[in-house]
Amino acid sequence: MNHVITIAKREMTSLFFSPIAYVVLALFSLGSSLLFFNSFAPSMPASMQGTFQGVIWLMILLLPGISMRLISDEFHSGTIELLMTSPLSDTELVLGKWLGAMGFFVTLFIPTLVLVGIVEAFGSPDYGPLLTGYIGLFLVGGFYLAIGTFASAISQNQIISYMLTVFTICLFTFVIYLLSRAAFIPPQIQQAMQFMFVNGHFEDFGKGVLDLSRIIYFVSGMAFFLFLAVKLVESKRWR
Amino acid sequence: MIHVENLVKWYGPTRAVNGISFDVPEGQILGFLGPNGAGKSTTIRMLTGYLPPTSGNATIAGFDALKESEKARRQIGYLPESTPLYMEMRVEEFLHFRGKLMDMPRADRVKAIDYVSDRCGLKEIRRRVIGQLSKGNRQRVGIAQALLHDPKILILDEPTSGLDPVQIGAVRNLIQELKGKHTILLSSHILPEVEKTADRVIIIAAGEIKADGSPSDLRQKVGQGASVLVQVKANGESVQKAFTGVEGVQSVTVEQQGDWVKAVVQPTPGSELRERLGQTILTNGWAIREMRNETASLEQFFIQITADQSQVVEEAVA
Repeated sequence: MNHVITIAKREMTSLFFSPIAYVVLALFSLGSSLLFFNSFAPSMPASMQGTFQGVIWLMILLLPGISMRLISDEFHSGTIELLMTSPLSDTELVLGKWLGAMGFFVTLFIPTLVLVGIVEAFGSPDYGPLLTGYIGLFLVGGFYLAIGTFASAISQNQIISYMLTVFTICLFTFVIYLLSRAAFIPPQIQQAMQFMFVNGHFEDFGKGVLDLSRIIYFVSGMAFFLFLAVKLVESKRWR
Repeated sequence: MIHVENLVKWYGPTRAVNGISFDVPEGQILGFLGPNGAGKSTTIRMLTGYLPPTSGNATIAGFDALKESEKARRQIGYLPESTPLYMEMRVEEFLHFRGKLMDMPRADRVKAIDYVSDRCGLKEIRRRVIGQLSKGNRQRVGIAQALLHDPKILILDEPTSGLDPVQIGAVRNLIQELKGKHTILLSSHILPEVEKTADRVIIIAAGEIKADGSPSDLRQKVGQGASVLVQVKANGESVQKAFTGVEGVQSVTVEQQGDWVKAVVQPTPGSELRERLGQTILTNGWAIREMRNETASLEQFFIQITADQSQVVEEAVA
């Protein structure tokens, strides 16, 4: 566990040294503010539900920017050799990388606290849904970053791992959204596909409901992709 | 301390290492010498647990490099080829990071970082960002991180590549200073470097061990059977005649160059000719301007082996 934290800390610091992180930070702040002011008007409910709904779409394009270099960069610069010859397991390496990206991701939300302040100043918001909304966003982000960690272990090329991450996330969002409405797909399968739909699972969080099955959906999604990432890193040794 | 048995590594259809076996006793400095692409780095990577061998096994301080990999890795301080470092970190930060991965408690880490900074001459650059350091200084950081946890075994892959002669000298001195404290395996494709620092040299080419021994052993081995080159002022035919009669001479070839004769004398195995040739020259009263053993340098031996490998490659291409 100590190793995981060591790797995560280093990863998070190095993210703050990379220009891409600041691009992500700037676009995220801009995007979330625009979304906020879009739904912030007199006579509207004092909540951020609308903002959160938009932010998870925004995350599809921005989070892969954080994760694309996680593992690929280590292979590119050769530092992977230092890590793999240390008494460090591949699981610790992957978890550390993911956790470091999570750390950075969570800091993206610090500017959004200003928006919460604005809601507080102009109305009396219900803090329950606000808190669960944030929890939901962190779970969605964790899931996306796990996909990104996996993709960054596939290719040394950061652009490829970015595209691959966006594509995979789209499978769980856009593609399912569109297909589950398509007439040619039988209703049973549509129902099954609905269950894979990320935004569907997020909705409850925005309403202030903490449903264990929703949490399990996200956690098992993260575990699945992180497991694949570990297997990929392991397999690199054998190639 | 290091025991290697019949190590083989295939990369797809290419065999990089072909059945290498050797033992390194505690405290020895072993030089791993070979041309680029000989399989040095691959062998080292199998020892450090970065790559699994296709077959064969390696034991590091009593731990199997594959089955007890984590324990084996703890015994090794490793500087990979081309010195990969995190360019955005500061030297001290990076050393702390390495120490944490080696599970060193904070107090030990601070002490060890002071020690290696002192040893590797990092005192002035401890707060500098690694990306801004010169190649020589990065190399020092690389060696420092390998030394940090005071490993029993130090493995340095091409520690002086890309350095200028002064820096090479500094690294060589550092390795000399570490002698006795660690068992050291260093690799190089440059001969003099290994010849000066190592107790023992293994020459590897085309994935196989071509020679194994102390630098002086190897030099002797090379010296044996070396032909003697002599230049005297005389008539070619008489020189040929006189030298052929000397005990221990197998063959003589002469070449007339104006007044002078250049003779290459091949001895029968195991005989040392120079003294007797000198006697012959004195008796004949010839003037002499040169006499030397022709292939006595380890360098030539090395070049010869290297040439063999490129020949193999050329044949394979053809």
